[in-house]
Amino acid sequence: MTMLNARGLSAGYGPVTVLHDIDMELHEGEIVVILGANGAGKTTTMRAISGTIPRHGAVEFDGHDVSKMSPDAIVRLGVAQVPQGRGTFPELSVADNLRAGAITRRDGAAAIAADADRWYQQFPRLAERREQRAGSLSGGEQQMLAIARALMSRPRLLLCDEPSLGLAPLITQELFGVIERLNKEEGLSVLLVEQNANLAMHMAHRVYLLETGRIVASGSAAELSADDTIRKAYLGF
Amino acid sequence: MELFLQRLFDGLSQGSVYALIALGLVIIYRGTGHLNFAQGEMALFCTYVVYQCGEWGISIGFALIIGMATGFVLGSITEVTLIRPIAKKSPFAVFIVTLGLFQFLNWIDGAIWKDQPLPNSGVGSKQQSFPSLFPNKDTDFVNVFGAAIKKQSIGVFLLVLVLTGLLFLLFNYTKLGLAMRAVASNAESAKLVGIRTNMVLMMSWGIAAAIGALGGVVFAGINHNVNLGLMFTVFIYASAAATLGGFDSPGGAVLGGLIIGVVENLAAGYADQWVGQELKVGVALVVILAVLLVKPSGLFGTEKVERV
Repeated sequence: MTMLNARGLSAGYGPVTVLHDIDMELHEGEIVVILGANGAGKTTTMRAISGTIPRHGAVEFDGHDVSKMSPDAIVRLGVAQVPQGRGTFPELSVADNLRAGAITRRDGAAAIAADADRWYQQFPRLAERREQRAGSLSGGEQQMLAIARALMSRPRLLLCDEPSLGLAPLITQELFGVIERLNKEEGLSVLLVEQNANLAMHMAHRVYLLETGRIVASGSAAELSADDTIRKAYLGF
Repeated sequence: MELFLQRLFDGLSQGSVYALIALGLVIIYRGTGHLNFAQGEMALFCTYVVYQCGEWGISIGFALIIGMATGFVLGSITEVTLIRPIAKKSPFAVFIVTLGLFQFLNWIDGAIWKDQPLPNSGVGSKQQSFPSLFPNKDTDFVNVFGAAIKKQSIGVFLLVLVLTGLLFLLFNYTKLGLAMRAVASNAESAKLVGIRTNMVLMMSWGIAAAIGALGGVVFAGINHNVNLGLMFTVFIYASAAATLGGFDSPGGAVLGGLIIGVVENLAAGYADQWVGQELKVGVALVVILAVLLVKPSGLFGTEKVERV
């Protein structure tokens, strides 16, 4: 079933249009990866979907037209975003960051605390630092916190903007492992933006290749890797 | 010793007023990064409303609630209709807009309550007598170690302590407080976790103005009157208090306000040869300068921590 469906989506900043008329979709339970070089429009795509920048075209989530909705309303529908550069609340403690992630939930403090415990188990380093300010964490820890915070809202779709940026390869692998497991075990749908093609291709069900704001190729990870021209030109291996 | 205690308590009750106005400044600054120059005048407008309620025979306690509600509505409307559209275009313009609002509100007060500012005096020509929240007759004293402390001073001081406690609970143990802190820390991310940032900013302005209204009513009660110039110097002291405590720390604003109030009173009392009543405002300005030179983030303000 199609969960996220974007048709003729364009977006940009002020007078500059970055994203030109793209079509993409994501089915329930899929991991879809958007690959592209710097400036291809990956982050803009994310922002256009989450509603943080003005956009044109149709975006549907779960049958709701979200193309005119504000970001907070889209979150309430079950879409959580891990923004690029982590976007944690630096002055708030780790515990408060997680609580803020659950702010849209209505199922009570006990259920929220239970979820927080779950992510503390998943990321023991966050548990050790739960009373520390998020701004004092290392880059990897902040990325873990950003993902845990997004998951605190119990989303059905997770948007992840370059989680590997600035992280050591081992930590990136650990994070991707967690995302993959959540997808397999709980059916969490994931839309992931990456420059690191190698890593992302392994877990992707389907891939979109983005170049200067247009989709130039799409298909399963296997199909794209099999195509020699695409592999050499865009994937770099 | 008795004189010292009296001056100390006078300072604490004066400082409580600065603390209330400073709290409003800090709540708005944390949320939006704007300094609201109209904070004092918003408070004055509400104080006039409370005065008017008194004229209509409404008791001071109930009138205070009406005044604070007026403040909440005034603050919210200001944010939605003036600040928000202009902040989108230019954050600097907000500074000018709050200055304009300062003038406008003062003019409105004058038009409705028929008062005119007297040149170079910081007061209005028409000083309307104003009821106090606490017993404030010449005989209402409590004896503390031989010093006669006004019941009013003690009442005002306790009121500020209770309010600070309530705000602490609001900020740290409620969803609204968490949302306010999140918006202050990173507005963009706050949207991405589903916080209605517009609602939070509106509430922040509303709460700030309601607290300001309380400050205005308390101060008018201490002075026994309300006039157009009531909040001019208070605003300067409150700015000094917020600077001293740290512009993003509500607890700091309260402590800053109390310290400024005490220092001001002690300085005017003990060094009356060269400070005296006329130069008291100078004390506030010296404090602002000194803090900005030595510790710009104030006593309790957060220095930005960031690891890359």
